[in-house]
This record gives sequence, structure tokens and C-alpha cells, in this order.
Amino acid sequence: MANVSLLPAGDYRTTYRADTTIFPTRNSRIALWLGLALVAASPLFFGRYELSLLINIGIMGIAALGLNILVGFTGQISIGHAAFFGVGAFASAWLHESFHIPVWACIPLAGVITAVVGLVFGAPAARLKGLYLAIATLAAQFILEDFFARARWFTGGVAGRLTEPLTLFGFAFDREETYIYVVLFFVVVMFLGAANLMRTRDGRALVAVRDHYLSAEIMGINLAYYRTLSFGIASLYAGIGGALYAHYLMFVSVEAFNILFSIQFLGMVIIGGLGSIMGSLMGAAFMVLLPEVVQSAAEALSGSAIDRLLRIGGSISYLREMAIGAAIIAFLIFEPDGLAHRWRLVKAYWKLYPYSH
Amino acid sequence: MLTRKTMLAAAGALAIAMPAAAQPIPVGHLMDNSGGTSDVGVPYGEGVRDALAWVNASRNGVNGRRLNVLGFDYGYQAPRAVSQYQAWSRDRVVAIQGWGTADTEALVRFVTRDRIPYISASYSAALTDAGGRSGRQGVEAAPFNFFYGPSYSDAVRAMLIWAKQDWESRGQQGRPKYVHMGANHPYPNSPKEAGEALARELGFDVLPAIQFALTPGDYTAQCLTLRQQGANYAYLGNTAGSNISVLRACQTAGVQVQFLGNVWGMDENAMKAAGTAANGVVFPVRTAVTWSEITGQAASPPAGFATLRAISRVSDQSGNASRPVHYLAGVCSAMLMVEAMETAAANGGQVTGERIRDGFYARRDWVPQGFAGVCEPSNFTNTDHRGTLRVALYRARVTGDTSQGTVAELMQNGTMRLEPVTTITLDRRADWLGW
Repeated sequence: MANVSLLPAGDYRTTYRADTTIFPTRNSRIALWLGLALVAASPLFFGRYELSLLINIGIMGIAALGLNILVGFTGQISIGHAAFFGVGAFASAWLHESFHIPVWACIPLAGVITAVVGLVFGAPAARLKGLYLAIATLAAQFILEDFFARARWFTGGVAGRLTEPLTLFGFAFDREETYIYVVLFFVVVMFLGAANLMRTRDGRALVAVRDHYLSAEIMGINLAYYRTLSFGIASLYAGIGGALYAHYLMFVSVEAFNILFSIQFLGMVIIGGLGSIMGSLMGAAFMVLLPEVVQSAAEALSGSAIDRLLRIGGSISYLREMAIGAAIIAFLIFEPDGLAHRWRLVKAYWKLYPYSH
Repeated sequence: MLTRKTMLAAAGALAIAMPAAAQPIPVGHLMDNSGGTSDVGVPYGEGVRDALAWVNASRNGVNGRRLNVLGFDYGYQAPRAVSQYQAWSRDRVVAIQGWGTADTEALVRFVTRDRIPYISASYSAALTDAGGRSGRQGVEAAPFNFFYGPSYSDAVRAMLIWAKQDWESRGQQGRPKYVHMGANHPYPNSPKEAGEALARELGFDVLPAIQFALTPGDYTAQCLTLRQQGANYAYLGNTAGSNISVLRACQTAGVQVQFLGNVWGMDENAMKAAGTAANGVVFPVRTAVTWSEITGQAASPPAGFATLRAISRVSDQSGNASRPVHYLAGVCSAMLMVEAMETAAANGGQVTGERIRDGFYARRDWVPQGFAGVCEPSNFTNTDHRGTLRVALYRARVTGDTSQGTVAELMQNGTMRLEPVTTITLDRRADWLGW
């Protein structure tokens, strides 16, 4: 992967502290604060539909980041991420209803519960690699899905469970205009957490396991420990994302957390960029926005000459699913390093203009 | 000067008043065109859509305001329905035509809070307890939920009463055996306990329920279980496409069982697909007629027949399409909503959710105007949303090869027939409310 440095010439770091800073340039820090301010002010100029998309991007982004830590940073694989997302969603709803724990506390607790579940199902990862691990996580997906459908005490069975909105000091975050701040808070905390994790010994150990497990082991890294830990962290993120989803939609049901949803998370990570923190958010944004774009394109098409010519008619809804599939294939071919890489190239192009070569 | 001023004022007033009067009424329409129940979801959705488009075209909407129908295909995924509902409630829809049991039951609390009448295609008995007086566990008051037709539970009760008569009239000895079959999903599960309880009451042996998925598949194992247990009457809780798989597998395995289909479990398309395997299945039909009677040569057809053909032409200009029973049910369900809206709008009233709900209570033995002879009468009260307790049972008759020819041709030449069996009217028992 071509890592394009955007530091001005002659800007040498003299300490490790300076070298590992998350936002290296002044411009990147300005962009960060500007972006946060824009999202925070979005209820002023966005309608509820646009806000709901932003909320979904945030929630999916958190869960995708978890999967990216597992897949992109540790080099493991999981096709059961949606099931862990579901554990978080049900756990938060269940904690609130059964023990009357306030929702703001349920969300992190649900993350912890999911992390524990993830550690259990991640145990095979200590011994398995590649395809074998993929199948082991597939088992987790099916076991958990079946558990959701039967454990009425936990999930409400196949009928699902209604959840309550998040309230803080008597103020209910039950609408898009307010819930966006909850999601924004968790996005900031979780993304900063992941960025910091990658600067620690544990984070670098994960990357070492990915790059070459044998060398990592020779350097004294406990492979089994870090592989399992990676599952735990990924599940923590999935659980928090799931809990946020539960209290946003105010209804959770087993149908949502199927294997297709797991594959979608993988799609987000691949499209966003493996091993990129910000890429996870970009991938989530892409996967959330793509169906909406296709949907509005389909609506614009319906009844038009093209529609009549191709006789799409009622099948127009399938167009959406097909477009998602096509987009993933196109990305694998033309942009295997993901949106994050493309974004770096775009930045470099302007930075170096007109001498980009 | 003065005249010009008044004219301007009048024009201004008109300009303000005109769009207000002609403003369309937003209505949600939730469809399953791509999910597990799309086999019956598509014709039902077409019925609803065509009927509402016909109301716009022929009656200029409700009280001069056109209906702005917001359709959404949710693929039978309850969470998608919930998030779409939230989008619709932002668009201030005044009523919603819904679909499945899982999503409708999940939305009960929301529509009650937002006061939006929700006319579902789920006939789950839990939706009928409008006053919340049944005291059943897990059943909450659903004052804004309506549906057209008998509830799933009442339909299975009627079929069991018929099964008992059938057993005796055939001179069979001993206790008949009844089994519930279906997916582990709120829709097939909905009438399970009600059916098994009445079966015991009527002297059936109730066998352990058999599971099969909502999607078509190989269900030979389920059929062998049926034979092994010696079931006599089996309730099919899934939709047509999935039931066909069971019927065909059981025909191949040579299992002799009287199948009782639920209201979504059988139709003309399924009969063609299943062939002779569907022969003999008994199931409830919600409308007074079927499509072959509407297009047939009746001596003096009711006016509703011509209306139905006009509605069908909305999406089929040739007029040759054959419409399964679900299409007709979709039309009746949409027309109930339209007429309740007209009641709300009468005498200059606002078309609000609450007034539409009251519109459902305005008539006794209610058949939408102009649909006599097509739609069956409904009765709704503010404590009891069991619209009808009258269950008309039909038997699917398939006598020959169905692989050649269209559904319309097969119905016409008698290869496939829908035979009325009996009509059973249940008592409006208080302990059956919401169950």
C-alpha cells in the first residue's frame, strides 16, 4: 500500500510522541473540528431523513470499525459480525427491561456482554486460521441466530422486543434531531479509542500478528492471546453499535441479524479500506448511502422510457440489491485498497499539484 | 381601485385555499415483493395499489383530495418495516396499509401512540383486542389496528369445526389426530395455541407441531413425520410457495392427510404450481367471489364485478390478467380504508387518524359501497376488532395436468376449481378476543 506522506518537507519528528500523533498536521486538526461542528449542527439544516442516514452511518461505522480491527488489523476473518451486533442490541434491551438499568448505562454494558460472548466464540481463533476460522465464525452466526429465535427471556423470541429511548436527566433522545448527538458521542469515543489502541503495544502486536504470525511469535507475542483479544475488541464494538441501533429503532428482532448483514459488514470494511480507522466510517457511509442512491435513481426511472423499454416495473426493488453486489465487485477490481486509500491519493494530488508525479 | 383590490384579495384567498383543498392525503403502503411471503404479497399488494389508484382516477380521491400512496417493499423484514414506519410518521401519513404479523405486532405500540390506523394483512388475533380487555399475556390494546377477514385463530377454529364434522360424516372411528405445521415465526405461530386448544376441546388428539421454513425447500422429512404420527388433519401455517413444497413432498411420499391451509396458504397460482398435490386442500376465502366467477358468465352479475374488472385494468390494460384470491382481499381491505376516510372527511371534517378510526365504527354489516357481492360484511366496535366471524371454507380441486396453459385457462376448462365447502359462523366469544 502506497502511504503518501503529506508532511511539509523538512518537518522532522524528534520524539516518539510527535511521531504517533493521530492528527499530524494543523490542517487535519482543523478539518476534524470543522467536521465535528458540521455534524453537531446538522439538525439545523438537515431533515429527519438525512439525519437518519447520518445516524445509521455512525452506528454501522462503529460496528464496521470493530470488524476492521479484527480483519484489517489482526488479519483474522469473521462472518458472524451481525450476530454479535445482535447480541449487543438484545442485551441492551434486555438489561433495561429486566433490571431497569438506565439506557445510557445499558449501552456500554451491552458492549461488555457482547465482548464476553465474542471471547467465547473467538476461542477457536486461537488455533484456526483462514478458511477454517471463517467456518468457525459462520457457526457462531448460526448458533447465535438460533439462540435469538428461541431464547424468549432474552430476545422476546421470534416476535422481537420493543426497546425504550435513551433518557438523560429526564431528557429523552427519542428523535433523530437529538439521537444524532448520542451517536456522535459514541463515534468520537470509539474511533479515538481504536486510534489510540493502534498506538499501544497491544495494537502493534495485533498488526504484527497480521503481517507475519511466525515473526510475531518469535518476537514474544502470544498469538493465542492476541487473536482471541482481537475477537473480544471486535465484539465490544459490534455490541455498542448494536445497542445504539436498538435504542434508535426502538425495536429489535432476530430477522435483522442474518448472515447477509454480516457480509455487509465485511463489505463495509473492504470498501472502506482494510486496516484503516477512518476507512471503516467511509465504508459504512458508502454502504448506507448506496441503497438510498439506487432507490432514488430507481424511483426517478420508474415510469420513464427506460423503465418501459426494459420492463423493470415491479422488479425495480431488486435493482437495489444488484447494485450493491456490483459495487462490491467493482471495488475489489478497481480499488482493492478501499476508499481510505483513494482519499489519501486525492489529498496528495491537491497537495502536490501540479507536480503530482 | 377598490374592485381591483378585492379581486386581488379574492385571488390571493383562492390561491391560498386551492392548494389546501387539493392537497393530497399521504397514505403508507407496506408491501412484501421480495421477501419470504412475496408469493402472496405481490398479488395482495397489487390489489391494494390498484384499488387506491382507481379511487384516485375514478372518484378523484377522497372528498376531492387525491391519495398520495407511498409504497415500500420491506422484504418481510420487521426491522425495515419499523424504520420505514418512522419515515412515514414524519411524512404525516394518516393511515397505513400494512403486511406481516411480526412487523404489525411490533408497530402496535407506535401506531397507538401516533394515532395512525393500520390496516394489516396480518390477521393475528392479538390485533383484535382494541380495548385491551382480554387480559391475555403479551396482548396489548390495539385500538388503531384493523384487518379485513376472519383472524388466523378464528379461521383455524372454523376449519377444526368442519374437520370434526368431516370426520364424523365419513364414519371414521376413534379420535382424529390434528397437527400444526409452520415456520417458527410470529405469523404461523399466531393461531397455534388457539387451534390446539379448540382441537382438544373437540376431541382431537393434538400431535407435536412440525416445523418447516417460510421459503420453499425439501420437506420430505416433515411428510414422513406426518405419516409416522398418523395425522389426519394438518394445518399449514405458511404462505402458498412454502406450502406447495410440503404438498408435493407429501404426494411423492404417499402421505394421506387432509390439509387445512391458512388464509394465505393456498390460491389459484399455488394450485397451478402444486398440480394435483394441491387437490383437496381446504382453506378460507375472504371474499364472496373468486376471480373466475367475476370473469365468468353470470346471469345478472352484481355491479361490484364490473368495478373489480375496472380496478384490475389499472395495472393490466388488456384485461386478461387472472387475479388470485389475495388480490380481491387487497381490494376489499383498501376500500374499507377509503370509505373510513370518506366518513372522516364527510361534512367538512379533517382526515385525521382518529377520525378514520371512528370511520371504521360508523357502519354495521359494512360492505364498501359498490362492492356488494364482492367484499364480505365487516363489523368493528371500539372494544372488538374482529371484523367478521364468518369463515367461508373452499376446497381446491385439481383434476389434471396444470403445467400447460395459464391459470385463467385452467380455471375456465375446469382443470382447477375452487369449490365452496361450507360456511361456519363462530360465536363472538369474549374469551376468544385477542387470542
